[in-house]
Amino acid sequence: MKIKSSLMAMGLAVSLFHATAFAQSPAELNDLEIAHVAYVADNIDIRYAHLALAISKNPEVREFANTMIRDHEAVNEQALALLKKLNAQPQDNFLSKSLQINAEKLIDEMSKLRGDEFDKRYAANELAYHKAVNDLVENAFIPNIENAEVKALFEAGLQIFKAHEGHATMMVGKLK
Amino acid sequence: MKLPTRREALVNTAAALSAAVFTPTSLSRAIASDGPSITHNVEIRKFKFVPDHLLAKPGDTIVWTNLDIAPHTATANDRSWDTGMLKKGQSKSVTVSEIESGGYFCRFHPHMKAELQIEQKDSL
Ligand SMILES: [Cu+2]
Repeated sequence: MKIKSSLMAMGLAVSLFHATAFAQSPAELNDLEIAHVAYVADNIDIRYAHLALAISKNPEVREFANTMIRDHEAVNEQALALLKKLNAQPQDNFLSKSLQINAEKLIDEMSKLRGDEFDKRYAANELAYHKAVNDLVENAFIPNIENAEVKALFEAGLQIFKAHEGHATMMVGKLK
Repeated sequence: MKLPTRREALVNTAAALSAAVFTPTSLSRAIASDGPSITHNVEIRKFKFVPDHLLAKPGDTIVWTNLDIAPHTATANDRSWDTGMLKKGQSKSVTVSEIESGGYFCRFHPHMKAELQIEQKDSL
């Protein structure tokens, strides 16, 4: 039986993804849709990181970006292995779509910045992005995932992304 | 007062998952300093080094094993030794020759910190 969405997670989802109006709520997604959202969210952060590596000259920002690529790819690898084992295909859905649309806009915007301006924007976005995704995963996804193995993977993922959130907080502080 | 010691860690290239038998070959000198050498295991899990404080002596071997999905390293704060990248399930053994006591961290996640304390014989 599904637990109804936490209002907090919904509010965050709305504010983060700038979706005009949701017909659905993140907590009502099924496991395969949740897996799709996670995969999309992972790849978005990898794209932000590649943008940072292309633009930033700050060694700390570059280190952080490399860690994002390394960790998110490791999570993706595990996710794909699990889906293969379960013989399941992730399902595209409204939340994946709005994440993508929002990311395109942000990449467009950030790719025009240079130097300090870029570094600060990238760091602030990493912090906001991990925070929002973590709230979504913790409050809307994990309580509703039905498959135990998928749930375990999300719990491990959450731990990684919380570490990233902490790391991003440090980076934002240093760039001030 | 402690004399400055030669800063040296012999990083075995013996790689992953061979957590079975470690036979350090280059220890003849260090082994003489104290009793039988021991293997210490440090697990990296949930973004922590466990244990995060370790007492070892020259001749001992330390094995780091990463249990997280995220790759990690164990790297001396002064960079005098480094396990290199450890992916999920991988181990690396470092032979304590005459490492100086000190902190180490994960290069990928700098908030992950731990401490290594190396016993030295006063009479050396
Ligand atoms: Cu690490």
